[in-house]
Amino acid sequence: MSEPDPSISERGWLDRRLDLRGLYRGLLDRPVPSGLTWWHTLGSATLAVFLVQLVSGLVLAMFYAPSPDHAYNSIKFLEQQVAAGRVLRAVHHWGSSAMVVLALLHTLRVFAMGAYKYPREVNWIIGVGLLGLVLGFGFTGYLLPWDQRAYWATQVGTSIASTVPYIGGDLALLLKGGSQLGAATLTRFYAFHVLWLPGGIVVLIAMHLAMVVRQGIAAPARLLETGAPARTDDAEYVEHYARVYEGSKQGGVRFWPDIIAKDVVASLLVIVVLFVVAWWAGAPIEAPADPTDNSYIPTPEWYFLPFFQLLKLFPGSMEATVAIGVPSLLAVVFLGLPLFDRRSTRRLRGRPFAALGASVLLGGSVVLLGAAVRDAQQTVAPETGRVLSSVARAGRATFRRQCASCHVVDGSGGSDGPELTLVGARHSIAWLHSFIENPSAFHADSKMSAFGPPSLSHQEIEEIAQYLSALRGRPGKEAALAIRDTFPSPIPSAPGRAPQTSPPN
Amino acid sequence: MTEQGVPLTRDDSAPEESRKVLRRRRFLVTLSGVLGAFAGLLATAPSLMALFSPVFRKPAASRWTKVIDDVNTVDVGVPFKVDFTETINDAWIETRALRSVWLYTDDAVSFRAFSSVCTHLGCSVGHDAEQKRFHCPCHHGLFDVKTGEVLGGPPPRPLDSLPVKVVDGEVFIQHLTFRTGIASKVET
Repeated sequence: MSEPDPSISERGWLDRRLDLRGLYRGLLDRPVPSGLTWWHTLGSATLAVFLVQLVSGLVLAMFYAPSPDHAYNSIKFLEQQVAAGRVLRAVHHWGSSAMVVLALLHTLRVFAMGAYKYPREVNWIIGVGLLGLVLGFGFTGYLLPWDQRAYWATQVGTSIASTVPYIGGDLALLLKGGSQLGAATLTRFYAFHVLWLPGGIVVLIAMHLAMVVRQGIAAPARLLETGAPARTDDAEYVEHYARVYEGSKQGGVRFWPDIIAKDVVASLLVIVVLFVVAWWAGAPIEAPADPTDNSYIPTPEWYFLPFFQLLKLFPGSMEATVAIGVPSLLAVVFLGLPLFDRRSTRRLRGRPFAALGASVLLGGSVVLLGAAVRDAQQTVAPETGRVLSSVARAGRATFRRQCASCHVVDGSGGSDGPELTLVGARHSIAWLHSFIENPSAFHADSKMSAFGPPSLSHQEIEEIAQYLSALRGRPGKEAALAIRDTFPSPIPSAPGRAPQTSPPN
Repeated sequence: MTEQGVPLTRDDSAPEESRKVLRRRRFLVTLSGVLGAFAGLLATAPSLMALFSPVFRKPAASRWTKVIDDVNTVDVGVPFKVDFTETINDAWIETRALRSVWLYTDDAVSFRAFSSVCTHLGCSVGHDAEQKRFHCPCHHGLFDVKTGEVLGGPPPRPLDSLPVKVVDGEVFIQHLTFRTGIASKVET
């Protein structure tokens, strides 16, 4: 060390015991390389969002019941009864996306600047582990609200695991805690989300940061490249690196406060954006999970969409290969990158294959994400502004063929019959089905002819009824639900069926 | 070597560093502190609000429960217990609980209602018909049947009276709970 410490008696009470000055010098008052950019703040910004997730998660856990009977209601309670509950949940929801985006950008920064090369290979591998844990948080957290989205996306996710050859069945059982997605799955995902993964990520973050302190922040690539031996495993490289790195720290830039001030500014910016988005958008919650619903179209969280879309391109037996092969390949490439790439070139312009590989991966993901979003939009019917179930979409096609000549929906159609733009708010599916079968049984003076078999099959009528039931106005401008069904008794077109009253709504 | 770093305090002077650098460092320290505090506050505000929400919650709107259908059917001059079920919203779980209160009337016109929870330690208070007083079996707390006053034993305050009203020959009460073991009547 340097000069001896000032008289120990001059130090404060805690300082004498804990050597705070030593700590200050070791952790904060360190020389760092000159020429660090704003891109270098991405790691700190990720850490800041992690801390936001940690704190908000600690409080969210107080209001959450990890049981299928109560999970959904506990979320509703949080949103409606707890002070700032809505914002709290929204911050945690959007925070997960922020974590993924920032962690990926940070990875990209380290990759583009060649900072994963000697001597930071191990820290890159730890970083890849952290990236995996972040995705694990996203996957397990998605199920917890136990709404339709949560349930069906997890159903798909765990099914992908079951396509693994040989061990797939056991793997799916292990993930779900049983053959069904249910109570055991929810506690399992909850435990992973709030105990296992946080435990793991805290250890890895501590290692990641400890290595940054020990090894220092990588010097600018240009500096390290100048006069470097061709490969980082060349004998002279270690000495070259030590010399250049020491030289890069002579500019008088200190970790504290020079670098930390920048990190704080970047973190604050990210947190402000996160809060504005959370405040403005809230967090989505759909209807409670309904395992019997066979018309729900599952969508995973957006950062899994490129992978989800990729699987759609490979139907049949290829799907399993891609489902396992692509993530495995990515894991091998990411983890192995610093081990097999030992050329000392750091700037991207000197690494055409690395640049090409990253572009293909990024570009491919963006294209797949775009395709997934476009696919999702195609299932949105403009007259409802919502994704229609496949049954309702079939009904929509039949409606256009058979009914639109007499009925107006959303401004288009014939005018012989009543307008049906908001009919779903007034009548149930059962009523609509019965009415289409035999309108004159409901209104003696109805001009509409009976469309019961053989005109249309029961299947087709049911599809039309489901489509009509979805006509309730666009999101945000929904018509108030006021179901007023009156059935003729007994229903003439369905002899033998018990007379119905209006269904509970 | 710049091993020692640049001191941030005025007393250890650093002759090799210009005043300009020191000023810049001090500015950055202040900036980090202010912006960092703001970021921390923003990041934790919703969490803190939710965390402490039980302390600041609004008291639930009072609900009247009908306990007697017809005032002409009740016993006069002796306390009697009424059992009823109450729907309880326990956070996100809605349950129904069996409750009981003591009612007393001299004239079937004006009623008094007492919580059956002993003000000492929360045991269930019974009626001693022989001695004509309320009796708590746990530590022998004794209360007056008309007023709820303590007649003996350890209870720190009278039995808790509950809001009661008579409308069209029907008796309604508000079932409230109070902290036990203290001299003042504090709703929980």
